[in-house]
Amino acid sequence: MTAVEYLDLLIKALLLAGVYAAMAVGMTVVYGVMKIVNLAHAGFLMLGAYFSFELFTRFHIDPILGAVLALPVFFVFGMLVHWVLVRWLPKSDTPTLASLLLMFGFWLVLQNVGYAVWGNEDQSILTPRTLSAVHIGDEISIPKVNLVVFAAAVVCMILLEIVFHRSWFGRSMRALIQNPYAAQIVGVDDQRTSRMTFGLGTAFAGFAGALLGMLYSFSPDFGRPFLLRSFVIIVLGGLESVSGVALGAIVLAILETFSTVVPLPWYWHGWHTFYLPPSYQPVIPFALLVVVLVIMPKGLAGLFNRKWKTA
Amino acid sequence: MRTHRNFACTCRCRTILLVLLLLGGIGLSSAPAAAATADDTITIGVVLPTTGSESKPGQYQKEGIELAIKQINDAGGIMIKSKGKKYKINEIFYDDSTDSKKSASLVERAMSSDNAVAVIGGYSTALGTAESVMADRYKTPWITTGAGATAIFGKGYQYAFGSLSPVALIGTTSAEFLGSLIDQGKLKKGLKIAMVVENTDHGTDYVNGFNEWANKHKGYFEVVMNEKFELGATDFSSILQRVKNSHADVFLSDAHLPDYITMQRQYLQNGLHHQMVSYGARGPEANARQALGAGTDYIFAGIWWSNKLPYAQAKKFAADYKAFTGHDVDSWYAAPAYDGMRILAKAIETAGSLDKTAIRDALKKVELTDSVLPGQKLKFSANGQADYPFVITQNKPDNKVDIVFPKDAATGDPVAPSPNK
Amino acid sequence: MTRPANVSGWLRLILPWTLLAALLLLPVARPSDNLIRLLFLTAVYSTAGLGWNLLGGMAGQVSFGFAVFFGLGAYTTALLMHAGHSPYFGFIGGASIAMLASFFIGLPTFRLRGPYFVIATIGVTEAVRVIMNNLDITGGASGYRIAEDKPFNPLEHYYTAIVAVALAVLVSTIIANSKFGLALRAIKQDQDAAADLGVNPFTTKLWIHAFAAGLTGIAGGIYARRAGFFYPGDVFAFQTGINILLIPVIGGIGTIWGPVLGGVVFIIVEETISAKYQDFHLMIYGALLILIVLVEPGGLIKSKHLWVRLGKLLIGLFTGETWKALFVMIREILRKLRFLKAQHIEE
Repeated sequence: MTAVEYLDLLIKALLLAGVYAAMAVGMTVVYGVMKIVNLAHAGFLMLGAYFSFELFTRFHIDPILGAVLALPVFFVFGMLVHWVLVRWLPKSDTPTLASLLLMFGFWLVLQNVGYAVWGNEDQSILTPRTLSAVHIGDEISIPKVNLVVFAAAVVCMILLEIVFHRSWFGRSMRALIQNPYAAQIVGVDDQRTSRMTFGLGTAFAGFAGALLGMLYSFSPDFGRPFLLRSFVIIVLGGLESVSGVALGAIVLAILETFSTVVPLPWYWHGWHTFYLPPSYQPVIPFALLVVVLVIMPKGLAGLFNRKWKTA
Repeated sequence: MRTHRNFACTCRCRTILLVLLLLGGIGLSSAPAAAATADDTITIGVVLPTTGSESKPGQYQKEGIELAIKQINDAGGIMIKSKGKKYKINEIFYDDSTDSKKSASLVERAMSSDNAVAVIGGYSTALGTAESVMADRYKTPWITTGAGATAIFGKGYQYAFGSLSPVALIGTTSAEFLGSLIDQGKLKKGLKIAMVVENTDHGTDYVNGFNEWANKHKGYFEVVMNEKFELGATDFSSILQRVKNSHADVFLSDAHLPDYITMQRQYLQNGLHHQMVSYGARGPEANARQALGAGTDYIFAGIWWSNKLPYAQAKKFAADYKAFTGHDVDSWYAAPAYDGMRILAKAIETAGSLDKTAIRDALKKVELTDSVLPGQKLKFSANGQADYPFVITQNKPDNKVDIVFPKDAATGDPVAPSPNK
Repeated sequence: MTRPANVSGWLRLILPWTLLAALLLLPVARPSDNLIRLLFLTAVYSTAGLGWNLLGGMAGQVSFGFAVFFGLGAYTTALLMHAGHSPYFGFIGGASIAMLASFFIGLPTFRLRGPYFVIATIGVTEAVRVIMNNLDITGGASGYRIAEDKPFNPLEHYYTAIVAVALAVLVSTIIANSKFGLALRAIKQDQDAAADLGVNPFTTKLWIHAFAAGLTGIAGGIYARRAGFFYPGDVFAFQTGINILLIPVIGGIGTIWGPVLGGVVFIIVEETISAKYQDFHLMIYGALLILIVLVEPGGLIKSKHLWVRLGKLLIGLFTGETWKALFVMIREILRKLRFLKAQHIEE
């Protein structure tokens, strides 16, 4: 393969990372503040995809606008879910298995709602930009839809980062992440912040779902492969910061893309190289994840983050 | 104090909400179909996925089976000679959620507890293979309408039948089709083939079938790439890069619908083009058209059934199906299920009794002569698997689909090589 | 064991044996094939759940990766049976291989804590699944088939599973009441403090991981032998790991009978729901799980009355008196919530 082809793949990997980051960031804020392992995240992604699908087919609203509209709608929805279900969970500064079970149950309910409302067709959103690409020279082609999705994801994450660092709500969120007890002593309303955080996490899940709906076909079962990747990304990124998520997403996307196109060296009567068969592709990111964790037990971000408490 | 009162109030709200949720769920679902073991019904178990990743094909197959049952029952039922009267079919349906453990378990449930005289089910190879174990164990005839892997029928099972022709035949027929295009001079001999198939029995069989034909007909093809990919992948850019670098003339894949849509999207975005493109048994689905629009044009597919088949009974089936379900039969899934149920009914009538072994013996002999499937005949060969020909369809512009191979069923000419837009 | 001091102590001693005796004698009463099958599956999953519970419940090390041991148990048993060995030898082999694998997985990953350990276990399962998908000697993604020559005997499978779950309960009880169990609980509460008190957290975790893996491996082998067919996309799936973990969570983490109860909910209740309500089984089962968490976050076993009621609900589902059973259940939940509310106000 030529250098230009590698560059082309690198661009595609970075675009993929944008999508991955958008889908994982919602999970990260919820985990950071409430220590909830949100299995229903996949359900929210699915609903987000259908949300923009409905807007697109019924009112011909562009899916990008649909994704932006998903933010407030899912924010309210998330707050509602928190108010009805999540806030009754026992509080803890380590991930609780009760939260895992609750969100798993809720995911099943969401799936069933999906089947009842939309049936089990593989739906998708086709816009004029879906199949076209920007060509640079002969070798490099950048899919327009991925570019748009990437831009939307980056803008939203920058906005989130600003909210995180510049608003009272963001500061209370970070306070809760760092030390829930001290935060409450200095006057952070724990319940209110949690509710808004869950809303924010859900808003981002719905937003990411709408973006994913532009790239993939979806059915009420949608989201499974993304759930697993979200887990991986938020841990790689150190579990609680937006920039960490971006870092984790880039690492995962690059590993996935390049694992089968980079010649790997091996030794058998002298050095040779071979390409990993694509059917082994998923081994690389997961095996490397384990290796990275073993070498750096606090994730990539652990290099510059503070110590984690024992679970 | 404020928080306490707040709690008391919302607590009641939450309870009410939860109770409503639960009651709503149960209330909405219709009353469970009790296993009515009345004297004049025959119980048939149906186990298919209507939730999970295979839910759509499962749904189509379920509808195909239910259409056949409705037609049989409307005609009075199945005549059982030994009892001297007609019996209606009582269907017991279970959704296996696309989980092979549940699938096998529910087939067992139908065979052991519901006294089903036969069970139909198993969409997708993995689920069908898991179910196939139960047929001989409970000495109950079992027909899979959705698993075509050869592996199921090579084990000497006596009670397992399949209404799908072997998957390997998709590969063979695709090769034969491409070969015929070479013979016609539309494509050149020594065609370079890149194969990227899903890492399942389905994909393996496809490749084997293709290679079988290619090995018998030397010089036609040169396979320059043969790789597998994981189901449900999110990104195919690196695989497609390798396809590009292989400088193949023809791109052959074998994939499930979501992977087909994702891969073909990225294929088009990357500006790839080949003389011919195929995704195995996928191609003409309406959902793919909706996802890719003109991007699916000229893709060819080897499938078990097409609504373009020029048989009177196939046309009638398509019309009946539409009247029964309210949607078009845009993919092949429903037809093998419909005929699987019909051949079972015919076998029960031939057996003349509700004895499972007698029905099994009848299934081995019986032939459905008005089959809607290609060749118009459905019969199980010695190993229990059906063996009718495949048809090759090709998508044409403006949402048209034509059968292009074999010649006697063709509704249009193949476009080869496909034009580069 | 010491002599129980009161009635409930006696009950606690007698009930398990009564249950075991009842399960062993059950076939005399000629139950339906369906019940035997469901009890078999419940026993298999409870065994796996009890295994997980040793590590996750007692030592507090949450692993999402038990599908590896379940799958290895299944494959080892199948391969040994294929080589002509007795299935029982196969189960032991499955357990051994699973234990061996647990060391290889534990050695690097037990250096990690909390969520990092969780994700490392996910990484291991996924990597193993994909490798098994590509491994030719086990049939790769096509799966593996066990063909036994002798006719299928559901009762043999049933008894095997009952013995396995009894073994799992026994092992759990012995560990819970031993010094080793004390060390586990110390690690769960505070690993560093435990280390200061002379417990070596690393080796303790490695050993309990091995016990847990062994039990899960046996469960995998027993499941595989009866299923007759399995493939990596199923036994090594992420979802299988989640299922094994949910069973103790439903029933009660860290308790001995919790995973058994969880197995009942996970298998019998789930299948009954999905058989009765085809279109809404996900929603009903999901709502049930939500209710369990909200009413009893520590698992069903923690709620004395509730699980009696749940049994009644179960009987209700079987006998058709669903509405009545649900009514009783809801009444119980309302009572429970009122109790919780009172507790909160006291705080």
